[in-house]
Amino acid sequence: MFGYIRPMRGELKVREYEQYKACYCGLCRALKEQGTPLASFILSYDFVFLAMLLYDAQEAPATAHVRCGASLFRRRKACLKFPALSLCADYCIILTWWKLHDTLADEGFFRSLRDRLFMAVLARAYRKAAARRPGYAARVREALEALERLEREERPSLDACADQFARLTAALAEGAGETRRRPLEQLLYHVGRFIYIVDAADDLPEDYKARRRNAVAERFGLSGVLTDKARESLETTLLHSCRLAAAAFELLDSGPFTPVLQNILYLGMPQTCRAVLSGTWRRDEKRKSKEFELDE
Amino acid sequence: MNDPYSVLGVSPTASDEEIKKAYRELVRKYHPDNYQDNPLSDLAQEKMKQINEAYDTIMRQRSGGGGSYGGSESAGASGGGYSGYSGSAEFARVRAAINAGNIPLAEELLRVMTNRNAEWHFLMGSVMYRKGWLDEALSHFQTAVSMDPANPEYRQAVSRFQQGGAYNPYQGAYPGQSACCCDNLTACDICSLLICADCCFDCF
Repeated sequence: MFGYIRPMRGELKVREYEQYKACYCGLCRALKEQGTPLASFILSYDFVFLAMLLYDAQEAPATAHVRCGASLFRRRKACLKFPALSLCADYCIILTWWKLHDTLADEGFFRSLRDRLFMAVLARAYRKAAARRPGYAARVREALEALERLEREERPSLDACADQFARLTAALAEGAGETRRRPLEQLLYHVGRFIYIVDAADDLPEDYKARRRNAVAERFGLSGVLTDKARESLETTLLHSCRLAAAAFELLDSGPFTPVLQNILYLGMPQTCRAVLSGTWRRDEKRKSKEFELDE
Repeated sequence: MNDPYSVLGVSPTASDEEIKKAYRELVRKYHPDNYQDNPLSDLAQEKMKQINEAYDTIMRQRSGGGGSYGGSESAGASGGGYSGYSGSAEFARVRAAINAGNIPLAEELLRVMTNRNAEWHFLMGSVMYRKGWLDEALSHFQTAVSMDPANPEYRQAVSRFQQGGAYNPYQGAYPGQSACCCDNLTACDICSLLICADCCFDCF
């Protein structure tokens, strides 16, 4: 759905790259098992990161070679389901559903028709996921409603908007053990903050064209284009969020995914931030969004 | 206590040099400077303590079980806490609340104040920073500096954002990633720039 949290691929070792792909396939399978048709449409790198982060065993998860629609002739290595994987799959379904629900009002007829169809397709999976995680579904709805109210205010605070979203990601730490919970919460808070602000900066031109409210535009008084001053300020605070997330990450015990996660936090997120702020993200996105799916 | 070798992430057969290297790397990672004003600083301190103890234990064992080996670096919290000079009793209360980790109280106290001077902006920035509201924190710190440019405490708060200073295992691998690659050109950089320029001119 967002896809801003991803590794810098060139810096991954082959073994790490394979781990990442196996988790990606594992999450896709978990989504399908949990009743989502068109799983690959709603799957995104952000949730793969979350699943790897929330995995808390010392040994790498079991894998199996599986066949799927995206790779008919060649079996792929996929992680077998582990608790964090099903949690992230549910989270992904719930968040996607409410995001679609929220944007309906702002859209034109054809786009809203497309989203309505998509929601109808997702409805069953959403009901199941919401039944499995009732607290979480209610929280997502409240946070997105609060966010909508905030965004309607005159000159809303960018941090206050990001805070609503960041708390949703931070809530994923709840199930973690006592020692892991605090660092995880801080880490997830800053990752959520990063996603919200980068997404707003990325949508800036589109939102301006469609006359939608945009938190970054409101913060710096922009009309569709980032000014140098806004870019500099955003880059400073976003990279600092990455640093705080990484500092929190270092307080967790290391596990089988530590190198991949370090790559994402220290290299991937700063890279994304710079690409979005300099305007080169969208151009490369098509190519990038396929990079972990196609090649073997 | 845990096995001191696993705390440092080295094998029991590692040489003294390897152990020192691993120890220094960990000290760099959990240094209090990286966790300044961070709500998790107590956890980092705890890690630091474990690492120092593990290092001391190994060194003691290797030197034949003699008395305490005083080799571990004592990295006490540098400049932590908000004990700074404060203009009024009200600000002193805010600083005490921040130090005690009671961020909502500190914010509440600041919101009702009418005297919004440089110190007010600095403390508000600190409250925002602890909450993770970095955009507002930076704005408040910058306002504080512009109102009182001579104050080192305020300037340090702004520069913390710009240089980060935190540990990064990939440091140096990506020169383009560091915050400033042109501000501190060394003779070496200038040479490599000239070589690059030379290569480019060859193309034309």
